[in-house]
Amino acid sequence: MLKKGMDRRSQNMVEEIKSDYKASADLGLKRCMQCGLCTSNCPAAKHSNYDPREMVKMVLDDDQEIKENPDIWNCFYCYTCQSNCPVNNSACQVNQILRETILLEGGNNERIVEFLSYGYSYMDFGVGAIPSDFFDALVKDFGDHYIQLKINLEDIREELGLVDYNLKGESLDEIRNILIESGFKKRLETFQKQGES
Amino acid sequence: MKNIPDKNILLFKSCMVNVEYPGVESSTKYIFDKLGIEYAIDPKQSCCTGLGFYYDLFDQVSTSALAVRNIALARKSGHENIVTLCSTCYAILKKSINLLNSNEKARDEINGILERAGLSDMKYNEGDLSSENNVFHMVEILYSKVDEIAPLIKKDFSDIRIASHHACHYCKVYPDHAITGARNPMILDEMAKAFGGNVVDWYDFKKATCGAGFSQRFANRDLSVSATADKLLALEGEADMLLHMCPNCQMQLDRYQPVVEKEIGRKLNLVHLSVAQMAALGMGADPYKVLGIQTHSVPVEGLLKKIKDI
Repeated sequence: MLKKGMDRRSQNMVEEIKSDYKASADLGLKRCMQCGLCTSNCPAAKHSNYDPREMVKMVLDDDQEIKENPDIWNCFYCYTCQSNCPVNNSACQVNQILRETILLEGGNNERIVEFLSYGYSYMDFGVGAIPSDFFDALVKDFGDHYIQLKINLEDIREELGLVDYNLKGESLDEIRNILIESGFKKRLETFQKQGES
Repeated sequence: MKNIPDKNILLFKSCMVNVEYPGVESSTKYIFDKLGIEYAIDPKQSCCTGLGFYYDLFDQVSTSALAVRNIALARKSGHENIVTLCSTCYAILKKSINLLNSNEKARDEINGILERAGLSDMKYNEGDLSSENNVFHMVEILYSKVDEIAPLIKKDFSDIRIASHHACHYCKVYPDHAITGARNPMILDEMAKAFGGNVVDWYDFKKATCGAGFSQRFANRDLSVSATADKLLALEGEADMLLHMCPNCQMQLDRYQPVVEKEIGRKLNLVHLSVAQMAALGMGADPYKVLGIQTHSVPVEGLLKKIKDI
């Protein structure tokens, strides 16, 4: 006899992840057999409580509580799990989609606001830049040599015979228009507003 | 081995090369010029967005719409073979091309963005490029020319123990496209050997990440440095030089090595060079005016003293 509660479970999260543009067309999410090769080779699992196998299991169980798990924010996006998976799943891609979904739902806003300057730099120059909120921390780790490098960068590049990498004029207008029409500018502003409220 | 182009190349600028290791670009140009490889650098090319994508900031549609513009520029100037200096540019571009070729709904959505942005002439048609046959990493071009480069090497690397760090986004995202994939990455080792180096066969954590982890370097600094230390400590006493192919990995291992050294209270005596910097050095390029070693955190000068002319 079938036990109660054994009727077909909702698979909303699985379908949402599989249809996300960040997922490979042939993502083997449903094929996961919980072998654990992902977790056994994961640098974040080695150094923290992140467990990609458990994350994938909770997604397959449509357990929304995975979105409250702080450890999923430790994934390095190194794709080691994907490269070892015998059934073409990618915990790395699943993680990226979960994290993006959480941010779009307004969760963990304090994490993303620190990276907004990368997006604004892209809109201003057509090139991303190290998020400015962290520059002082880098200097603390890397020392005065790093500040000197940044001060002298243009001279060094000139000596190396390299041209300016920032976009200008029409090109800059083109990428700004693309990012306005794609909704990216609005997305930056939404993250910023959420951070201020 | 797959067909690797030596002409109609767009040398794709990398944000991390631009500001951290610009000598990787000048070294690549130096080698390409010596070998007569036909390439262009386009001042209109925008950055791949890869770091922003992996900070969870960029969505796939915005990243791919910008890729479509860069692809249109490359095709318009007859440089449809995109060659990247960074493994993340490499994988990000492949991902966009796969999506554009295989998903009509996404392609229409992205083309709609181009149209509304007044760039209808840049729209992407299915099959305009192939992720496998039009996107390459600089290391692949060098590898395909290794028999031409090797006779031009004027430096003796035989006393230098060389280990390799194969970038994850080259080997692990599209392992089927890589010349040597994730299971046994050897492309850098084979090149170092061809240049006369004393190649370290294997070390623990060879296949592991550099530890940068995109947002982890910043938001989770201790976690990130722990993974970096795994790699550096495995190499302690095993190698004199770590050979790189990705500016983000090079930054992580070169700039955080002194941080790890301070924490453990001893020097690790490991110098970091990109494979392009090593090849250019071997071919006679100036360490400051071409390799750009003045931007490195671990000084390269001590190693240079050990490398004699042949």
